[in-house]
Amino acid sequence: MTLFKPQKISLARREELAGYAFIIPWIIGFIIFTIGPMLSSLYFSFTDYNIIDPPRWVGLANYARVFSGIPEFIQTGDPRQLGDPLFWKSLQVTLYFACLALPLNLIFSFLLAVLLNQKVPGVNIWRTIFFLPSIIAGVAVTLLWVRILNPRMGILNPFLQNVLGIQNPPGWLQDPNWAVPALVIMSLWGVGGSMIIYLAGLQGIPTDLYDAAKVDGANAWHRFWNVTFPMMTPVLFYNLVLGMISTFQYFTEVYVATQGTGNPQRATLFYNLYLYQNAFRYFDMGYASTMAWILFIIALLLTALIFRSSGAWVYYEGQLRGR
Amino acid sequence: MKKKLFKLLGMLVLASVLMSACGAGAAPATQAPAEKAKVVIFVGFGTGTDPDQVTAQDALARKFNDSHDNIEMEFLIVPTEEATERYLAMVAGGNAPQLVGPHGTSTIAKFKEQWEDVTSYIEKDSYDMSDFYGPATTINKYPDLDAGLPLGLYPSFIFYNKDAFDAAGVDYPTHDYADTSWNIEALREKAMQLTLDANDNTPNDAEFDPATIKQWGYADTWTDMRGQMTMFGAPTEGRPTSDDYKTAQVNSPEWIFGAQWLHDGIFKDHFIPDAAGQSAIDADTGDPFGGGHVAMWYSHTWYMSEGLNELPFKYDIAPLFYNQDGERISRIHADLFTMPKTARNKDAAWEVMKWLVAPEQIVDVCKIYGCLPARQSSQGAYLTYMKERYPGIDYDVIFTAIDYLDSPHHESWVPDWGRVNDALNNTQSTIYTDPNADVKALMNIANEDVQKIIDEYAGGK
Repeated sequence: MTLFKPQKISLARREELAGYAFIIPWIIGFIIFTIGPMLSSLYFSFTDYNIIDPPRWVGLANYARVFSGIPEFIQTGDPRQLGDPLFWKSLQVTLYFACLALPLNLIFSFLLAVLLNQKVPGVNIWRTIFFLPSIIAGVAVTLLWVRILNPRMGILNPFLQNVLGIQNPPGWLQDPNWAVPALVIMSLWGVGGSMIIYLAGLQGIPTDLYDAAKVDGANAWHRFWNVTFPMMTPVLFYNLVLGMISTFQYFTEVYVATQGTGNPQRATLFYNLYLYQNAFRYFDMGYASTMAWILFIIALLLTALIFRSSGAWVYYEGQLRGR
Repeated sequence: MKKKLFKLLGMLVLASVLMSACGAGAAPATQAPAEKAKVVIFVGFGTGTDPDQVTAQDALARKFNDSHDNIEMEFLIVPTEEATERYLAMVAGGNAPQLVGPHGTSTIAKFKEQWEDVTSYIEKDSYDMSDFYGPATTINKYPDLDAGLPLGLYPSFIFYNKDAFDAAGVDYPTHDYADTSWNIEALREKAMQLTLDANDNTPNDAEFDPATIKQWGYADTWTDMRGQMTMFGAPTEGRPTSDDYKTAQVNSPEWIFGAQWLHDGIFKDHFIPDAAGQSAIDADTGDPFGGGHVAMWYSHTWYMSEGLNELPFKYDIAPLFYNQDGERISRIHADLFTMPKTARNKDAAWEVMKWLVAPEQIVDVCKIYGCLPARQSSQGAYLTYMKERYPGIDYDVIFTAIDYLDSPHHESWVPDWGRVNDALNNTQSTIYTDPNADVKALMNIANEDVQKIIDEYAGGK
C-alpha cells in the first residue's frame, strides 16, 4: 500500500524551485540584515530612543521637529527660526556638493574613458594608472588629500602660486567657502570606477555604426555626438543613478577630513555626518532614524525623477520611441 | 507554493525586526551563575590603547587573577575612534561591560544617566576616602551621582622649550605660583618674541610674514571651547550655563574677553596657530611641542608619557599664567573607572574598582595611564618614578597646579552635553578660521544657540 503518492512536478515548477533555492540565501540575508533593520529604524523614527533606555513612542514629534518653523523662516529669512536649522544646513551642504560633484564626476570619468578608448601605445597601463586610485581606501585617500590641500604645507597652493600665478590661493579645507569644492576635487580622484563602466560601454558600441557614419561624411565630433553619446546614454543613466545615491551617502571622507565635526564653521556638515552626530554623539537614535528615512525618501524621489526623465534622453538600441 | 514561501519570508522579516528591536531594552542586571564572576574592563574612551599600555594592562589582569579565586578580570581594548559605537552596541545588546575606564569628566558627563552611583557601595564598606586629593573626589560627583573611586589626576601647566627661549633671548617663565607678574600680558609678550616666520622674523618685526610661520609662541589648540574659556574666570568657569542649567552664559564678559584674546592671538598678534597652522602641524609631526612647532604648550600630565620622549631640545614646565582679572584657573582632568548601571556582576566590579585604586596598586596603574595617583599617600612613590623617567623637571609645578583647578569643570555635565559642546565648538571653529570675525556677535549667537538647546532639553524636545 502506498501512503504517499509522489506528485509529478512539471519542468517549469522544477525550474522555479531551483531558482528560489539559488536565491534564498541572499533573500534571507537581505531580510535579516536589510529589511529588518530598516523596519526597526522606521519604528525608532517615531520614538525617543537614546540606545540605553527602551524607546519611548513620540508619534510624529521627530518629523515635526524637522519641518517646524518653515513658515516663520519664509517670513523672516532667518534660518534660526527653523525647528532644526542644522538639518536644513546639512541638506544644503549635501545638495551643494551633489550639484558640483555629480556632473563633474560624470563628465570627467566619461571623458577619461573616451581618451582611454583610443588606440594609443600602452593603453592598458594608462587604464590601470587611472583606475588604481579608485581602489584605495577612502581614509587613505582623504589623509593624502588633506596634506595636498593644506594651505601652509600642501603642494597644491605652491603650484597655484608659482605655476599659475594665483597670488592668494584658497585655504581649502580650512576655508568655509572652499571646503566643499576641496571635497569635490578629492572626489574626482575616485572616478576610476565609473570610468571602467564607461569604457566597457564604449567597447560595446558596434563599429559598423562608426563605419556608416564615416561613409556619410561625419567628422570626429559628429561621430562622438551622434553615435558615441547616444549609445552611451544607458551607461550614463546607470552612473547618474548610482552617483546620485552615493553623493547623498557621502560620509567617510568628510568624517576623516574634519574629525567628524563638519567644520570649518559647519561648512562641511553633510547630511550623513549630521545623522551620525545625532545617533552617536547626541544619542538621539530616534531623530537619527527620522533623518535616515527622510534621506531615503529624498533619494527615492530623485531616483524616480531620473527614471521618469530617462525616456527623453536615454537611448536603448532596438527601442522604438513612443512605445 | 508561492503563498508558503511568502509566509516563510514574512516570518523571517518579523523575526529580523524582533531581533533588531531586542537590543533596544536594557537587560536586567542579574548575577551570572558562573564559578568566577567575570569583570570586563572596557578601555578606549581615554588612554590605554597604546601597545605598551596593552601589555601592562595584561600584566595587571594576571596579577589580579592570580590573587583572586572568585573574580576574573579582563581588559577589553577598543580603538578610541570606535569606542562610543562599540560601547553603545554592548549596552544596547544587554552585554554592558562591568567597568569602563579609565576615563574622564567628558565621557562621564556624556553618559551621565547610565552610570551606577557608587555612594551605596562606599557606605556599605565604610570605604575610607580621606586619602584622596579633594578635587579627585569632587570633579566627577553630582548631586545624584558619584561615578566611581578616584584613580588619577591630570593637572595642567605650560611645557616650554628652553632652547627656543635661549635662542630668542627671552627669560623662562617663572615657576613661582605667587609671582603675579606672570600674567596674560606677560605670556603674550613672550609668545610674540618666540613666534618665528621662515626668515626668523617675529610678529614685532615689520617684515614678519604670518603665512610662513614655522614656530608659534603659545598654543593649547587641542582642547575645546569650554576648555579654552575656563581660564578666564567667568562665575561658572568652565560651564556655559547658570547653576540651575536653565540660562546660557556663553556671552559672559569673561568668555567674550577670552574669545577675543584668542582671536587676537591668532590673527593680530600671530602667536597662536590658526586652523591652517594646526592642520600643518598635524600633517607634519602631529606633535606641536615635541615637533618644535610651539614654544609654550599648555597641556596636562598625560602629555609627559605621550610627548616627552627623547626630545631634541631642553624643556621644563611652568605654571599657567594669571588671567585678566588676576586669577589663576588651571584646568584639571580626573580619571576613574565607572560601572554601567545595567552591567552584571556589579559587586565583583566594585571589588575590582577598589583593587585598582588601592594603595598597593594605584602607582602601577597610574604609571600605565600617565596620571598622578589620586591618593596623597602615593605622591612620594610616584614622584620617585617620575624623577627617574623625566629628570630635571620642576615637579612642584605639577602638584601645586591641583590647587588652581577649574570648578565647575570645563567638561562637566550640561543638558544635552553633545549639542551644547558642538554649538560652542562651532564658534571656536569660526574664531580659528575667520580673521574678520566679530567675536562679540559670535558669542551672542552661541549664547542663543545654547539657550535654545537647553530650553528644548527642559521641554523634552
